Amino acid sequence: MALVAVAAAMLINTLLSKVPTGLEECHQVLVNGHSHQVCASTMRWRFFWDVVGNYIFDASIFRGLWLTLELTVFAMAIGITLGVITAVMRMSPNRIVSSSAWLFTWFFRGTPVYVQILFWFNIAFLYPTIQFGLPFGPHFLTVNVLTLFTGFVAALTALGLNEGAYMSEIVRAGFKAVDEGQIEAAQALGMTRLQTMWRITLPQAMRVIIPPTGNELISMLKTSSLASAIAVTELLKSTSNIASRTFQTMQLLIVASLWYLTVTTVLSIGQFYVERHFAKGSSRSMPPTPLQRIKQDLRRMGFGNREVRS
Amino acid sequence: MTTPMVEARGISKSFGTVQVLSGVDLTVERGQVACLIGPSGSGKSTFLRCINHLEKHDAGELRVDGSLVGYRQSGNKLYELNERQICAERSQIGMVFQRFNLFPHLTALENITIAPQRVLGKKGPETIRRAQELLERVGLSDKAASYPSQLSGGQQQRVAIARALAMDPKLMLFDEPTSALDPELVGEVLDVMRDLAKSGMTMVVVTHEMGFAREVADVAYFLDEGVVQEWGNPREMLVSPRTQRLAGFLSKVL
Repeated sequence: MALVAVAAAMLINTLLSKVPTGLEECHQVLVNGHSHQVCASTMRWRFFWDVVGNYIFDASIFRGLWLTLELTVFAMAIGITLGVITAVMRMSPNRIVSSSAWLFTWFFRGTPVYVQILFWFNIAFLYPTIQFGLPFGPHFLTVNVLTLFTGFVAALTALGLNEGAYMSEIVRAGFKAVDEGQIEAAQALGMTRLQTMWRITLPQAMRVIIPPTGNELISMLKTSSLASAIAVTELLKSTSNIASRTFQTMQLLIVASLWYLTVTTVLSIGQFYVERHFAKGSSRSMPPTPLQRIKQDLRRMGFGNREVRS
Repeated sequence: MTTPMVEARGISKSFGTVQVLSGVDLTVERGQVACLIGPSGSGKSTFLRCINHLEKHDAGELRVDGSLVGYRQSGNKLYELNERQICAERSQIGMVFQRFNLFPHLTALENITIAPQRVLGKKGPETIRRAQELLERVGLSDKAASYPSQLSGGQQQRVAIARALAMDPKLMLFDEPTSALDPELVGEVLDVMRDLAKSGMTMVVVTHEMGFAREVADVAYFLDEGVVQEWGNPREMLVSPRTQRLAGFLSKVL
């Protein structure tokens, strides 16, 4: 306990510390009628809080943050949808269906997401155009791949497909965690395989699926920064654009980090309430909210009212 | 004479190399209560699960209300039914499990309404009214909004019976419905089953409750090693068994 307090104090101390800038500030002082020049090095925040403060609410940063959020939300939506579909396919009694789902997971989990982002960005080298139409017949629609796969679309495709592979395994684990008796009971009532999955298995599997999915969402928020490599001006790119103009690299990395931390915090809180919703029926009482838990913790740590020990 | 509700001829079933059922013959008439008794591993639960096709039997002929279970006969050949047809067959047969298997994410009321709504396509208000009636019938009208985890074992099993009844089944299967219950809760479940029997429901009950079998059942079947060793009127059979095996079994459970 004391160790934690010391570490926290040290952390706050260094975060709020100041260091000399190396520049001197001089002024004249009169001593006994004589004029002296007194010089002192100017100080600045070690962590450039003033510069950080200047940029953190910058309009271009907000545009970048918004693009990061868009990438995260859409990529997760694609990932979850694909994950549920492939997980259901994996459990199909049909061999072709189940093995194609396995193949999907194998491929997209087996290559680095960074490589996949670069791959989709350059897909036009393999397919310059996509044509929709009858085989050997007329084409109804011709799509120019180069213009279709902009940086944003390429990043979204890569992140979404990659996430789908991971979500597939998470959803499958969730399904497997549901008691076999539940499926039997649903079948005995005459429900079909899909009805049973949708109405009975999936809602119960959610309890197992939500916590790792929350991790995936937070992980996606950060992984989306890889899109900066293909010139998508998401949060990281929008900060580094400023940094490359002003050479304030560290300052703007701190700006980016603060925003990533802020969004992660919001997401974690959201995750808690979603988990609480799906815990319904699994235990006799609801888990405490964060506020209730903080109060409990404070009480345990000795703040507030507590029974006196003898 | 009308067609029997359940008619089994030479039902066999094996899991891998283990032969669980080796030619079970059994008949349950309409409105009858049949009890299946026997030592664990004798195949009684497996047989019960064959009746609603939760298990596929390997050989023999199994009919419910005159039609084959899980298969369709065309000439001399049997064709397996598709999923939708199997579901339609199952929806007419209620089943109550040893471990209740209530849906934990739904309230007692929702547990009862989900199948009539999703399987039979009935309207919400109609199913809710019916569910409330059924909850009252099993003595739990005040528990409609409770989740299964908030109910005792006996209450859960009574909700499970109401859930099965909501489908208006022509046949009810009970798979050791009181075996997972604390002794003091067995009575409330047996009471509900007794009322159900009195109302004329056809029931097949796998049970270790010899008192219930003797009192309520019209016919009892004693299974051991995958075959019916002895069957008849439970009031005679359970008092003066004809076979050595049944006598041995009864001496252990009574």
